[in-house]
Amino acid sequence: MFDTALTANDFIFLAKGAGMTIFVTAISVFFGTILGIVFGVIRYQLGPFWSAPLMFVLDIFRSIPLLIQLVLTYAFLGTVLRLGMSGLTVACIVLTLYTSAYCAEIVRGGIEAVPLTLRRAARSLGMTWAQDMRSIVLPLATRVALPSWIGLALGVMKDSALVYVVQVTELLKSTQILITRLQEPLLLLMICGAFYFVISFPVARFGGYLEKRWSND
Amino acid sequence: MFNYRFQWKQAWNRLPEMLDGALITMQVAILSMILGIVLAILLTLFRRSGNRVLSGVATTWVEIARNTPALFQIYMAHFGLAGIGIHLSPYSSLLLGITFNNAGYLAENFRGALKAIPDTQPRAGRSLGMSDLQAFRFIVLPQMIRISFPTITNQMVWAVLMTSLGVTVGMNMDLYGVTQDLNALTFRTFELFAIAAVIFYVIVKIIQAGAWLISRRLFRY
Amino acid sequence: MKVSLPSIAAIATIAISGSATADLLDDVISSGTLRCAVVLDFPPMGSRDADNNPQGFDVDYCNDLAKALGVEAEVVETTFPERIPALVSGQVDVAVASTSDTLERAKTVGFTIPYYAFENAVVANEGVEMADWEGMKGKTVGATAGTYEAIWLEGKVKEWGEGEFRPYQNQADVFLALSQGQLDATVSTVEVAEANVESGKFPGIKIVDKAPMVPDYVALITLREEQGLINYMNLFINQQVRTGRYAELYKKWVGDGEPADLTIPGVYR
Repeated sequence: MFDTALTANDFIFLAKGAGMTIFVTAISVFFGTILGIVFGVIRYQLGPFWSAPLMFVLDIFRSIPLLIQLVLTYAFLGTVLRLGMSGLTVACIVLTLYTSAYCAEIVRGGIEAVPLTLRRAARSLGMTWAQDMRSIVLPLATRVALPSWIGLALGVMKDSALVYVVQVTELLKSTQILITRLQEPLLLLMICGAFYFVISFPVARFGGYLEKRWSND
Repeated sequence: MFNYRFQWKQAWNRLPEMLDGALITMQVAILSMILGIVLAILLTLFRRSGNRVLSGVATTWVEIARNTPALFQIYMAHFGLAGIGIHLSPYSSLLLGITFNNAGYLAENFRGALKAIPDTQPRAGRSLGMSDLQAFRFIVLPQMIRISFPTITNQMVWAVLMTSLGVTVGMNMDLYGVTQDLNALTFRTFELFAIAAVIFYVIVKIIQAGAWLISRRLFRY
Repeated sequence: MKVSLPSIAAIATIAISGSATADLLDDVISSGTLRCAVVLDFPPMGSRDADNNPQGFDVDYCNDLAKALGVEAEVVETTFPERIPALVSGQVDVAVASTSDTLERAKTVGFTIPYYAFENAVVANEGVEMADWEGMKGKTVGATAGTYEAIWLEGKVKEWGEGEFRPYQNQADVFLALSQGQLDATVSTVEVAEANVESGKFPGIKIVDKAPMVPDYVALITLREEQGLINYMNLFINQQVRTGRYAELYKKWVGDGEPADLTIPGVYR
């Protein structure tokens, strides 16, 4: 069953695809998280009414298939505005916004989980808003938000499989290229699936561990 | 201003076909949710059963569903299963792939929800003469569903969005498949996909509104 | 800062007129690179060699065109459904991607004269009883989404009113499904069908019949308004045939025999 025409070269090719998956994920999660924190704090500070326009836009990213977001953005930036961006740039932009849309909700939930009385106490001790946010809210909200955030980051990694539509050769796409040439779909798909699993599973377990540890104190 | 001329009419004329696709999308999403919830409850029972084989099966299922891309799961449901002689139509493959994913995510969530239900409750049920299954059915399950309801709603939204992955297994009846077919005919990518995006958005909003109504009716304390 | 509307309009006008004086042909020559969209899961027109580098008839045509223009060629891989978005979004300058010149598509992109013509074959799973192409009636058939043969086949299935049509995302998936018995038959170009049957990578498939379609004329495409580049490519295609390069590449990639005729009797062009 495992006599295969797969060569060392092909493994390097797959590894390049895997590298691309990790690269796109890292960029999007990094910038998406920063944006998400900003959006989440804005959402919390402004209240539901004034932040409604922002929330509406972010909600769109959660209500439309990522595949369509990618195709549309690519077509819009390229076809309509003629910006001539590479598919990789478009993929990173869309995935960053996509991440930030989910991250904003997580951040807001985290902030809301910090008891208001605690924050009032901090403020009455003379802390400024910034000090309160940094020394009181940040550590406590992180505990609530981190497990969900890990879930989000892993979700983005799995969703990055869709950036093939904008000509980015990530892991799943490189697998398909090899399948086309070698015609060994099952073996190659197993390798591909195993790769995702190997990265995702330990991190997910770690997230579960944190959640358990932090919720019992 | 732009060099690009929008041709909305050409795309707009195809709206009826796209709406038919939207119905199929809804159908797949709803079916996959119903099956997914039933399977997730089964998986939860398996994991609680204490039987090694059963809980092993359930754990494997949950971990694979949660740790590989949905696209991969759907692709495997079509080409992977065919490799061992099981042939499914694109519709069934898509349904199976999404159901598999739904069940995995929901089972994990149900497990979290169970922690919020004190063990004393089913025990009280048992001492009132209920069987193990009855205690689960009448005491644990309703609370579990109630706690998980927001997650179930989210998963339903996900299921709708995941139908767009059906094109990889030759599905052309759903909203995304129809849009892609039309795109091949006319090359009006932006206009067609913009309309598809709006339809998806409306579907998701309908689901969220529906979930809100249901939760108001069912879960009044 | 306050910016008046007329001044914005003036800047926009300058920007537009500035870009309008140089067309895509000029841009390509001055940039020194010609970016071609090529479909690489479509042997012998486009595929990858053992080092996963692009090769094939379309790849060579892209190289020849770049050489004629005096620039470097850059091959950008696309799939069939994605080649037009790549073109209209400015990722590539032209698509050398076996694109059938349908009237519906010509509303959106600009076609040259045909540079190749395919005949299509019906390929079936060996387990299926099928004498000729009409045997596909009522069967489960499929083809690559977004191709000429897919559009034709889907139309036929609708016309017959029975059977099922499935478009897959790429050629490899179609033949995989056919080999697995998920599909009873497919329609693909004779070149692809023969290459796949001979390769032995897809056991259990056979060529049944020629598909009764008009030869599938394929053309180079670029943006609809780039008449300068379209004119240039028309002449390029003509020169390829005239100089014997067309026949040479046909022999190299497709095999012995008469290269497909690119003229249509009884009409000017």
